[in-house]
Amino acid sequence: MSERAQGKKMDIRLPDLGEVAETVIVEWLKNPGDLVDEGEDLVEVETEKTTFVVASPAPGRVTQIFLTAGERAQVGDLLGEIEQI
Amino acid sequence: MGRSSRSRIPVAHVRLGRAAYRPVHELQRALHTLRRAGACSDAVITVEHDPVFTLGRRGSLGNLLGGKDQANAAGIAVETIERGGDITYHGPGQLVAYPILDLRSYGRSIKTYVARLEETIVRTLDSYGISAERVEGRPGAWIGGKKVASIGVHVSQWITMHGLALNVDINQDHFDMIRPCGLDVGIASLAEHVEEPIDVGAVRDRWFAVACEVFGWSAEPGPGAEEAGHED
Repeated sequence: MSERAQGKKMDIRLPDLGEVAETVIVEWLKNPGDLVDEGEDLVEVETEKTTFVVASPAPGRVTQIFLTAGERAQVGDLLGEIEQI
Repeated sequence: MGRSSRSRIPVAHVRLGRAAYRPVHELQRALHTLRRAGACSDAVITVEHDPVFTLGRRGSLGNLLGGKDQANAAGIAVETIERGGDITYHGPGQLVAYPILDLRSYGRSIKTYVARLEETIVRTLDSYGISAERVEGRPGAWIGGKKVASIGVHVSQWITMHGLALNVDINQDHFDMIRPCGLDVGIASLAEHVEEPIDVGAVRDRWFAVACEVFGWSAEPGPGAEEAGHED
C-alpha cells in the first residue's frame, strides 16, 4: 500500500448484484475500529432468498457504519466507511 | 440458455446419496473455501438428507411451531446456517442440490442465478408432465399453489453455496411442524402427481442433466466416480 493511500477514507457501497431492486442488511461482520484485509467479509445483505457478503475493497480500519441490521439498501447505497492503512 | 460445447463450464458432481446434514454442510464450506481460492472447479453436491430443520440468517424460531423440544423429541435436528430465507425442512424423499459456483462466470447476477435454479426445477418437473408455477418475489416452485421446491443461497466473493430442495416424496408430518419460509403454505410432492413409482436418485439424475443445459455445464468425474465405475 502506498503512503498516499494511508489514511484515505473509502466508501463501502452496495455493489451491483444484477437487477436486484432492494436488499436488507443482515449483519455487520466487523465493528467500527476493527481492522480488515482487502477482500475480507465486511457486511452481509439479503435479497431473493440469498445472503450476499460485501467484501472490503482495501486493507483498512472500519470507521463508520451508516446502515445497520434490518435497514434497506439499494445498489450503490453507502453502507459504511473504512480508513485505509 | 444453453452454451456450445466449446464454452461449457466444467463442474464436478458430488453425488452423496443419503447423508446427515452437518457433515455435508462442512463439505460445502470446504468446497466453498477451495473455490474462493481457485483451487477447484465449480461443483455441485446432490444429497438426500436425514431429517433436519434449517434456519436461515434472518429466520425465526417462532416458525418452528412446536419449538426445538418437539423437533428433538421427533429425532429431528435444528441447524442455524448462513443461507438466505427462513426455516425449511430437509429429509428422506427430497432432492437437495448445493451448487458451489463462481458467479463471475455466470453474469454476476443474484437474480439470474436464482431464476436459473428455478428454471432447473420447472424443467425437471416438466419432464414428468407436471406444470409448476413460479411466483415473482417468492423464489421457489409451486404446484397448484402448494410449494414443491425451496431455494436458499449464500454468496461470498461471488462464490455460491446452499441451493435448492425439491420434494420428491416427502414426509408431510415433518413439514407440518414448521411454517415453511415463514409462510402458511401447503407442501406438494412430485410423487403425488405421477403414476409411476419414483425415487430421489432418478429425479437427481434428471435434474442434473437439466441443470447442465440451464447452466452450460459439462460434467467432470466427481469424487467417488471411479469407484462407482468399478463396482463388480
